[in-house]
Parts: sequence; structure tokens; C-alpha cells
Amino acid sequence: MSRPDRREASQLRALNCSLGQLNRADGSAQFSAGNTSVVSGIYGPVEAKVYEEKLDRAVVEVKFRPDIGAPTTKDKWMESAIRNTFEREILAHLHPRTLVQIVVQLREGDGSVDSAAINATSLALVDAGIPLKCMVTAATCAVLSDDTTVVDPTQEEIDAARSTHTFAFASGSPTGPLYVDSRGEFTMDEYNHCYDLCALATERVLAFMRTAIEGKVTKEAKISAA
Amino acid sequence: MGAEIGPSNIEAAFLLEALKKGTRVDGRGIYDYRTLKISCGPTYGLAEVQLGQTRVLARVSCEVTRPFPDRPTEGIVLFNTELSSMAGFGLDSSRSSTQEVAISRMVERVIKQSRAIDAEALCILAGEKVWTVRIDVHFLDHGGNLIDAASIAAIAALRHFRRPDVTVDGEEAIIHDVRERNPVPLSIHHTPICVTFGFFGSAGDMLVLDPTLLEEQVQVSSFTITLNSHREICALNKAGGIPLSPDQIQRCTQVALAKVDEVNEKIQLALKASTA
Repeated sequence: MSRPDRREASQLRALNCSLGQLNRADGSAQFSAGNTSVVSGIYGPVEAKVYEEKLDRAVVEVKFRPDIGAPTTKDKWMESAIRNTFEREILAHLHPRTLVQIVVQLREGDGSVDSAAINATSLALVDAGIPLKCMVTAATCAVLSDDTTVVDPTQEEIDAARSTHTFAFASGSPTGPLYVDSRGEFTMDEYNHCYDLCALATERVLAFMRTAIEGKVTKEAKISAA
Repeated sequence: MGAEIGPSNIEAAFLLEALKKGTRVDGRGIYDYRTLKISCGPTYGLAEVQLGQTRVLARVSCEVTRPFPDRPTEGIVLFNTELSSMAGFGLDSSRSSTQEVAISRMVERVIKQSRAIDAEALCILAGEKVWTVRIDVHFLDHGGNLIDAASIAAIAALRHFRRPDVTVDGEEAIIHDVRERNPVPLSIHHTPICVTFGFFGSAGDMLVLDPTLLEEQVQVSSFTITLNSHREICALNKAGGIPLSPDQIQRCTQVALAKVDEVNEKIQLALKASTA
């Protein structure tokens, strides 16, 4: 089996990220895997509107903006997926009666958009200094029509796939996925196989994100020491 | 909550005091643009513009649709700009502010009504099928002067864009896959670029090019002039503010002429870099 871009079945596309690009946002990150590219910006903790504030914790609000056209139901669904993934990982009780706003802008979607959005948001939250329980990393798998499983599929592969699966894991916790999204027809064995492949892939994504954060923090430390 | 908080009196006074001496708080000369970075690609029709702290992303896409019945031989150009909350907290798109409407309308007018895009070249079968070209402008960071950044991004994205090739055989039109046949660029007549000035002082006697967010908040009037590379004026916009003398408009036009050439050169370089 060979993939259109000649990757190995378990190989991710070239990852790229940059932190703190945006000036207005409290934290931001751009994450891209191949042509799929997402920017995430964080505002918070800021004052919440009276009718939406929670007395004991911060409210997490997510906006997902597609690259082309106005937001649709699909994008609303993506917002709730991101919110549900991060709501429990943000130490919201430290900032009661505030709002943490996450704005995710898709720059370009070429498959595996949901995992890229989660990874970008995770980096942006770290950049914004929002207290987190852990880092969240996600990866996508696709089961193709010839029963092979590929990691980080492109849109072309997703269109031809029998099923696609996205898993998000919390760093350093073996308790299972935080977020699962499976679409299409698949067997339990295929699901388990995808789970294992995504778990491995997220470890690589996490290592990549760690290096990126370390790089930025070291640079900042040098500047402030000088 | 969420409303833009203006600068403090001290900040505003400092800015004006500095301007009186001919300097700006960020160290630029009054006729200097901030650092302009344009990057195109990797896919066709994606352009990101960074103008100092302002960052704008433009995305061009196309699809085949039915033309408007009153214009059967013209393609459709759609424009979508939204000031999302990513550009600044509280800049919410659900309650479109007057500022947002002003920016969207200006950029849309500049591109559509100056007929920068050849709409007839977008026709596939008269009355049946035309291309709809869609330009989405996303504001990522609001550091002032969104209009100029948006117009540069839109033009760069339009020039970078390629649509699938089409062959027409009688009543049949075949749209070729991008892998099958090289996609073709849009037919663009000219490239209008906006240049914005901010005016200060009670008589508007001090002016600056490319105002930052702080300067925009202090300015008493602003003036946007849109020119293309043929040195033609495509649009002028002075929405409110204090009255200006014709001399000042003349002076702005002269400065803008030089700046438009610089910007066009930068777009050219960015386009070349993306194909290299």
C-alpha cells in the first residue's frame, strides 16, 4: 500500500507550530500538519457577562471559524467538541466568575482538522498561561477501503476512507481518551487498532509540542535575563 | 463589558505632543508604513498579511453556480469579512459594529465596484453556469489600519488563486481536475490598494500614514484613498470626522501614489516566492 504523499501508514505529516504570534490575544498558537493549518487565540480569564458567569469556576467559551464561508452546524459541533475536551482540563475553579474565550480559526483544511484544532488550542492555552491539569493532544486515523489504517489522513484519504477516528488524550494520564470521534462503518478490532495508533501518534505530537514550548520559554528567559 | 477602552489622557497627550515635533510613538516617520509582510500559499488563493501588529488572512475559493438572471454572462464575486473575536476581545461578529460594517463595505467596494475582477471571464455557459469566486477575509489581530491590510491580503490572494480549467464543447462543459490540467489564474484588470491616513489636531493639520490602533483611537478624522498600479483613483473614503482642506487631500494622494507602488512590488515578490 502506498499513500498519495508517500508516507508510511503510521507517519504524521510534517508538524509545524508557532506560539504567541498574535498581539491582542492573551495567548495564541498556530499548528499545522502538512497543509492543514489552524490558529487558536485565547482571551482570558476575563470578566464574564453576568448571565453566563458561574460562581465557582471560569466559563469556557469556544468559537470555531471555518476558512471558507460563514460558520455552519458542522462548525458549531466542532465548537462543542473543543469545549467539552478542554472544559475539564482547565483548572477553572482557580478563576471563578470569569470567562476563558477560545477562538479557533481554520486557515486551511486538508484532513484531520479536528485534531489540529485541539492541538493548536492546547498550545495556545499554555501560551496564555491558563492553568491546566495536563496538555491535550489529538490524532486522527482513517481505515481505507482496502482495510489498511493510516495516521493523519489528508482530505483525499478521508474522502475515500471507510471510517475515520479521532482521539484526544491527556498527557501523562493512562486513563483513556478525553475525546473520541468515530465516523463510518468499522469493526471493534479496527477501532482498537486505531486507538493504539492514535495513542502512539499523540505521544509524538506531545513531544513536538513540548519542544516548541521549551524553545519559546528558553528564549523568553534569555531575553528577560539580558 | 467587551467594549474597546480608549487610551488614557496621558497616552493621547503624549502621542499628540510627539506628533507636533514630527515623530510618532512607534518611531516611524509620518509617511512610513509599518513593516509589511505578505506570504502566499501553500494552496492557491491563501494569503496572509502582517502589517506591524495587524494580521489578516484572505482565502479565495470558487464553485460553479447559476448566474443571476439579469446578468447571464457574468460570474459572481462574493465578499465575506468578519471582525471575529480573535482580532480583539469583544469584537464580536454576532453584533456587527459600525466599525466592522465600515471596513467590510470599504474593502468590498474597492474590489467589486472598481471591477478589478473580470466577471465575464468567469462565465462558463451563458445563463447556465458561471464561476462564483468567494473571498473570505479573516482578521486575526487588530493592531490598527485593518482596511489597508485587508485590501492587500484580498488582492494578493486573488492574484495567487488558480481555478480549475474548463473546456466548453457546445452545451457541455468539462471541468478539469487540478491534477489533470494546470489550473488557470483569474483575469484581473487592475489591483486596487487602499492607503489610509489619520488626521490629528483640532484643525486636522497633522497627518500620519498607516495609523496604529492607538493612533486610530486618538485621530480626529481618517481618509482612505484607493489607487491601482496605473496611478488611477479607484475609491476615496472620508467617513465623518473633522473637515479637511482640498490641499490635504492632494498631499495624501501624492504620498499614496508612491506607497501603492511599494505595496504592489511587495505583492509581486510574495507571489514569486510562493511559486519558487
